Amino acid sequence: MHDGSGLIAVQNLTKKFGSVTAVQNLSFTVSPGNVTGFLGPNGAGKTTTLRMLLGLVKPTGGTATINGRPFHQLGQPGRVVGAVLEAQGFHPARSARNHLRVYAAAIGVPDAQADQVLGLVGLGTAADRKVGGFSLGMKQRLALATALLGDPQVLVLDEPANGLDPEGIAWLRTFLQSYARMGRTVLISSHLLAEVEQTVDQVVIISRGQTMFYGPLEQLRQQQQRRVLVQPSDVNALATALHAEGVQTIEQLADGRLAVSGVDSKHVADSALRAGVSIYGIQEEQVDLERLFFQLTSGQYAGYAPAQNPYQQQGGWA
Amino acid sequence: MGNLVQAELRKTTTTGLWWGLLIPTVVLALGWGLATGLFGKFFVDFASSSDLEEVSDFLGVTPDHWKVTLFGIARAINISTIFPMVFGAMAISGEINRRTITTTFLTAPSRMHAMLAKMLVYVLWGAIYGLAIMLFVGIGVVLTSNSGQLPDAGGWAMLALACVLSSILMTMFGVGVGALIPNVAGTIVLLLLYFLVIENVLHFVLVYLEVPTVIGFLPNGSINGLTGSVAVDLFLSTAGVVPPEVEDVLRAIAGAGGALDWWWSGLVFLGWAGIVFAGGWAVTQSKDIT
Repeated sequence: MHDGSGLIAVQNLTKKFGSVTAVQNLSFTVSPGNVTGFLGPNGAGKTTTLRMLLGLVKPTGGTATINGRPFHQLGQPGRVVGAVLEAQGFHPARSARNHLRVYAAAIGVPDAQADQVLGLVGLGTAADRKVGGFSLGMKQRLALATALLGDPQVLVLDEPANGLDPEGIAWLRTFLQSYARMGRTVLISSHLLAEVEQTVDQVVIISRGQTMFYGPLEQLRQQQQRRVLVQPSDVNALATALHAEGVQTIEQLADGRLAVSGVDSKHVADSALRAGVSIYGIQEEQVDLERLFFQLTSGQYAGYAPAQNPYQQQGGWA
Repeated sequence: MGNLVQAELRKTTTTGLWWGLLIPTVVLALGWGLATGLFGKFFVDFASSSDLEEVSDFLGVTPDHWKVTLFGIARAINISTIFPMVFGAMAISGEINRRTITTTFLTAPSRMHAMLAKMLVYVLWGAIYGLAIMLFVGIGVVLTSNSGQLPDAGGWAMLALACVLSSILMTMFGVGVGALIPNVAGTIVLLLLYFLVIENVLHFVLVYLEVPTVIGFLPNGSINGLTGSVAVDLFLSTAGVVPPEVEDVLRAIAGAGGALDWWWSGLVFLGWAGIVFAGGWAVTQSKDIT
């Protein structure tokens, strides 16, 4: 049986669909007690990885385990791991309550649990409505309710914010964080860092089926670079003064400003004062997480900018 | 396993498919039953009033005691059990089509557990369909037949057994094909084409090639043989002495062309159902659910 650790371990996981390599030698672990974001652009292999973890797709190589066991050795998987997957199915003619009762029976929990999770996700009043009439957001909530039926230790969600309104996203954020605080494991995938930035503590960033970054979000934040853009009265004097103070990365921009990295604007202003240089304008620029994420994951399926149209004939109309 | 069986049972009772298919099933069974009685009466009237009396003398009983309804009942069962087969065919292909198979596999200890639970539930549904078919065929036949042409109590019991068995086996066969070809439309079209057209053509070819015994080993031939042989056996038990040539003709009329005993036919068809289920299981076991 499984060890009850709540640990997700992915090791050298590889999946090939014919000649297409969807996931290549991917490794990371997810520990209980916090929310882990699983990030990457569309087509990076996120869904395939999660489906291998859940025993729905057979890996070509490597292993993916929950509580030290592959999915099919969990015994009663519904009580260990709950999952919300993209394009998860519902029978359109079945009511939300009946849908949940079917799977409550399969997992072996009392029927009352169906109404409880419906209330939890805010679908209590829609319990007897047929799922065919549900909006995308309601279906996402019902999928989450299904995942929560067995009160699982591990929660895996693939793009759960799809179709949710801002209120729903805010609710989901709070819900997942409090779920993790109870000592459970939450793994949530997204193609937008901004979408999960406020939710997750840890991140796994993948691109082209490979791990690009894996660690605390805080660590990723520290990697981001700040620079101070300053317009001094005497560029050379300020540069010399900063250099003398040990500031190494000083760059002159095309518009005549200096870009200073590694120090804050207060430091630059003080140096300017001491050097007797006037400052006409100063501003701090942050390379945000989104851009960092973009740098980590760019390249796959990149489109051309209109000006770089490869089909344009050289000198054709000139 | 009990949990999964209950889950599968709830899946079938929380949508309308079971009664949506049961209605045409019983309408067909009732209609065929009524027609059987009328046709039987017409046939016996014709036989009693013509030169065919010689045949009746030959068989040792008067035509008004021929239990001709037996053949119609057998045929009614054969045709009506197409519906439980379609019901079974939707079991797995329908779940793959609607993507509910994902949650089914996420909440079951293994895919094999999920499929076995499904099979058990559909065996139960096959029995329910079988009882409904027998009931409505019986009502139809009783309404339009003379009492002399109807089976006795033992005969009814035997036919009911054959009907329920046949319905269960057809449902199981459907479940297997639905798992093998995970596409609802493809599965149903293939099953209907095969059972209504392809194999019937094959039967003519086999008779033409003078190897009619092969018919009893084909899927449709064996399942028809199950009910058909029961009907022929019941007919012969009251019809007196019948020469072998006439017996072959009677078997052909009843749909038991292969001339196997009813239980042999049932076993042969069970074999076919087992083969397609094993194939469907193998396909489902290794399938990537994306």
